[in-house]
Amino acid sequence: MSQLGKIADSIDAYNAHVAAEVKRARTEAKFAAELRAKWAHLRASVEMTKSPAGTPLPRLALPDTDEPGAIAEYLLSQGFPGQFPYATAAYREMYLDKDTGTGEEPMRLFAGLGLAEDTNARFKYLNTHQKSLRLSTAFDGPTLYGLDSDHEGLLGKVGEGGVAIDTVEDMGRLFAGFDLTRPDASVSMTMNAPAPVILAMFIAAAKKRFGPDCIGNLRGTIQADMLKEVQAQNEVIFPVDASLRFLCDMIEWCVPNMPRWYPVSISGYHIAEAGATPVQQAAFTLSNGFTYAELLKARGVDVNAFGPRLSFFLDCGLDIEYLVLGRVCRRIWAIGMRDVFGANTKAQILKLHTQTSGRSLIAAEFQNNLTRTAAELMLAYMNYTNSCHSNSADEPFTTPTEKYALLASHGQSILLEESGLFKHTMNLFGGAPGLLMLERQVEKAILDVFREMDTLGGVIAAMEQRYQRSKIQESGHRIETQIYSGERPIIGLNKYISHEPMPSVPLARTSPKKQRLQVERLKAFKKKHAKKAPDALQRLENVARSGDNVFGELVNTVEVCSLGQITACLTGVVGKFRPMV
Amino acid sequence: MAAAKSPAPLRILTAVPVCDGHDSAVTTINIELARHGIEVIYLGYHQSASAIVRAAIQEDVNVVGLSSYNGGHIVFFKEVVDQLKKSGNGDIPVFGGGGGTITQADERVMKRQGTDRIYFAGTPLADMMAEIKRAYARAAKPNAKFKGDRALARAITMAEGGTRPPGAFARSASGTPRSTKKTFVVGVAGPGGAGKSTLIDELTSRFLKNCPGGRIALLANDPSHPDSHGAILGDRVSAIYAQDDRVFFRSLATRGSLTGLSAAAPAAIEILQASGEFDLILVESVGVGQESDPFGIFGGRKLVDATLFVLAPHYGGLIQLQKIALLNGADLVALNKCDHPMAHTAKAEIQARLNQNGKGQILHATTAAKHFDPGVDALFAAIAKLGGLDTVRGGEKACWMASPDA
Repeated sequence: MSQLGKIADSIDAYNAHVAAEVKRARTEAKFAAELRAKWAHLRASVEMTKSPAGTPLPRLALPDTDEPGAIAEYLLSQGFPGQFPYATAAYREMYLDKDTGTGEEPMRLFAGLGLAEDTNARFKYLNTHQKSLRLSTAFDGPTLYGLDSDHEGLLGKVGEGGVAIDTVEDMGRLFAGFDLTRPDASVSMTMNAPAPVILAMFIAAAKKRFGPDCIGNLRGTIQADMLKEVQAQNEVIFPVDASLRFLCDMIEWCVPNMPRWYPVSISGYHIAEAGATPVQQAAFTLSNGFTYAELLKARGVDVNAFGPRLSFFLDCGLDIEYLVLGRVCRRIWAIGMRDVFGANTKAQILKLHTQTSGRSLIAAEFQNNLTRTAAELMLAYMNYTNSCHSNSADEPFTTPTEKYALLASHGQSILLEESGLFKHTMNLFGGAPGLLMLERQVEKAILDVFREMDTLGGVIAAMEQRYQRSKIQESGHRIETQIYSGERPIIGLNKYISHEPMPSVPLARTSPKKQRLQVERLKAFKKKHAKKAPDALQRLENVARSGDNVFGELVNTVEVCSLGQITACLTGVVGKFRPMV
Repeated sequence: MAAAKSPAPLRILTAVPVCDGHDSAVTTINIELARHGIEVIYLGYHQSASAIVRAAIQEDVNVVGLSSYNGGHIVFFKEVVDQLKKSGNGDIPVFGGGGGTITQADERVMKRQGTDRIYFAGTPLADMMAEIKRAYARAAKPNAKFKGDRALARAITMAEGGTRPPGAFARSASGTPRSTKKTFVVGVAGPGGAGKSTLIDELTSRFLKNCPGGRIALLANDPSHPDSHGAILGDRVSAIYAQDDRVFFRSLATRGSLTGLSAAAPAAIEILQASGEFDLILVESVGVGQESDPFGIFGGRKLVDATLFVLAPHYGGLIQLQKIALLNGADLVALNKCDHPMAHTAKAEIQARLNQNGKGQILHATTAAKHFDPGVDALFAAIAKLGGLDTVRGGEKACWMASPDA
């Protein structure tokens, strides 16, 4: 049964608790004195720093008050950064300059094009300016749909929009030359329906290079969020129940074996890109997250074991709600996980990756996209996202070319390193009246959606009734009609149009020669393993039919089988996904 | 021949190419097309060139519209155009769009390779709609060059336009003489939301598995919009087993008919039967009410050999059940969505209701959304038995027998 109503109630109850505590702080002398003492201690813990121009600054901005009600309000409702309910931030110092240089770099630049070696070269280029190792991978269409590059009628799609990966050998080529066991390495993979197969290939390739004991050191994220695929992104292979089973198998395997790996990234990005409003994005993403928590709990996995391994991914566009979306999401997640799921501190923290909005980028006068992305980055960082990808200005036309990918990366450096907005003082903006007003409005709207879905029977039941898809499509259609009517001004498209001809932009495309090379490699792999593959697939089929954990077996299957062979085997057991309009 | 009424609506097939799930643009365009009085047959995302071509032929559309957002469009569009030409259906033009991903340089190549036009980012929807209507509206005429499924499809289009097929026309439609082969026609009715389309798709999979070499035809009736006269005919999206050359799938908009079927449905059934191509025809009505009788089983001209009535557990209780007329006349009754918590009670109530009829009707409990559901296997076996599907392919083993691994 759905917990969404209960979760919405827990947020309301927490807000009522805050209001009661504020009142108590103003009426009970003993409580007031305790708060003042705690406040004095917290203030004293804040170190000082200086701007380059010489202005002395605290490393954390706190409300300038000694009034016990205001102190209670701040500490309980917003939370000291890194403290429940985490509205301010997941951690205390986030992007601040650190003398030791051990801080977590938030920048992750997503890349993927052509064959494995092409993406590998792009990784090397993008990491030139990063202290830590950041490898974020986009896959091509056939890989995302679990098909081999030699599948009939797919050749033109091979290596387009992302990298083509068919086998464990491709995976080895993709990360060649990078030390994935470095403590500051982080690999991410935007991979969903075939995520268990692709992660198994990653593990197998890593074991080959770094030895069997490397698994515990591998750090990164695989997206694997099947609920949002069914609701918005449409990259689904297996029926919903089987998709969720394979995902939970993977998470259950990863929790004890890969303590540094995030086996799911609960994503609103694609929900927003498909047209959802910011509130719908947040409501659907959080409710999907709570649904995974329910599924894992029902399997008997401890919430304090899986909770810290869940991560989140939001879109950031230019609508005003984005000013607070990350803050509101962290708060709802923390309260719901604590008060409904009984999660401990580590399992309450919503760790957030943000990507600037692809949908907001347009072809007309595309260089304006640099400004759009910069503004979105500013909003993302104001929400203290833990990591961030900035889009390239040329994305309406092509997989990012080197030039615009580099400009996108520099956009982040300009905000975090060149500007003084984020590096001297933490929480410059939080607590402003406008932000607080927006937080309340957005939170309330999200809880309304939770309650509506609760009456439909929860996330999965609502999904079967097409609830999320209808809402997203309706919003997407509204955006388009607002653009065409001019109600939503888009500079260069429906306002201040220059009528200049479309520029000729260099395109990153994969040549037919390369596409054929990928097919040859795959054929050679299949030939090499022709003897062993049938047995490996039979073992996988047996495990899938028995109901045991499929992921444990996949790690072996990928040694001798291609992605397409494995997909076909599993489809034979569980059937195919039936799409919804 | 009936006099032509107002011009028949334009029929457009829309789809998103293989390995591409970006359906936001096509969804918006589908809505706009329907709002402008166009019948949109939406095939869905991640569609192969061959599936698109098969659907375009069977639906006899005026034009195919493709929305492509993750690359490979030059190769893909060419493949669709080439397959249409190769199969003798080069008269169906192809247009498309892909925001900024299809550049003007690409457009030049694509046009040279046969794509009719490309819409670029920023084209106002109203302009696009006006141009589509202007460019692709044309009256359907019989065409002796059409072969196979396209000939059948064109005959159905003619019937939709008000032209009743004369006997000879139906006979020549597929180019083959009227067959003596018996075609079993089953009408499928039930309230909206009972899962008729999914059940039909699962039955299709059982047919394909159990009747090798046979062909099945599906006629899906869906309502037209009462004001715009357009329609979004989206049944193909969920019909995953219809993507097979042994399946003929045709979407029919009701165009103002309030019987639960298109006015052309009787003629379409006749055309398909006369072709001698099909062992089984399933005709799906629009969602029906308590009094409806789309297939004329209570004294009207009976359109089908048998009727399957499908309902789901949320029918509203015993009293409502009493009022459903088709429960008296249906040869087969299926309670679908049997994974629903109410299913247990529903089963008992419906079987009791059927027992009152004294016709020996048996309730089939199905969960079509579940793959490989044994309830669907049993329902298919009952249909096969009722229709004598076991004897149609003379000499072969009873094709309705479930295979050992089913």
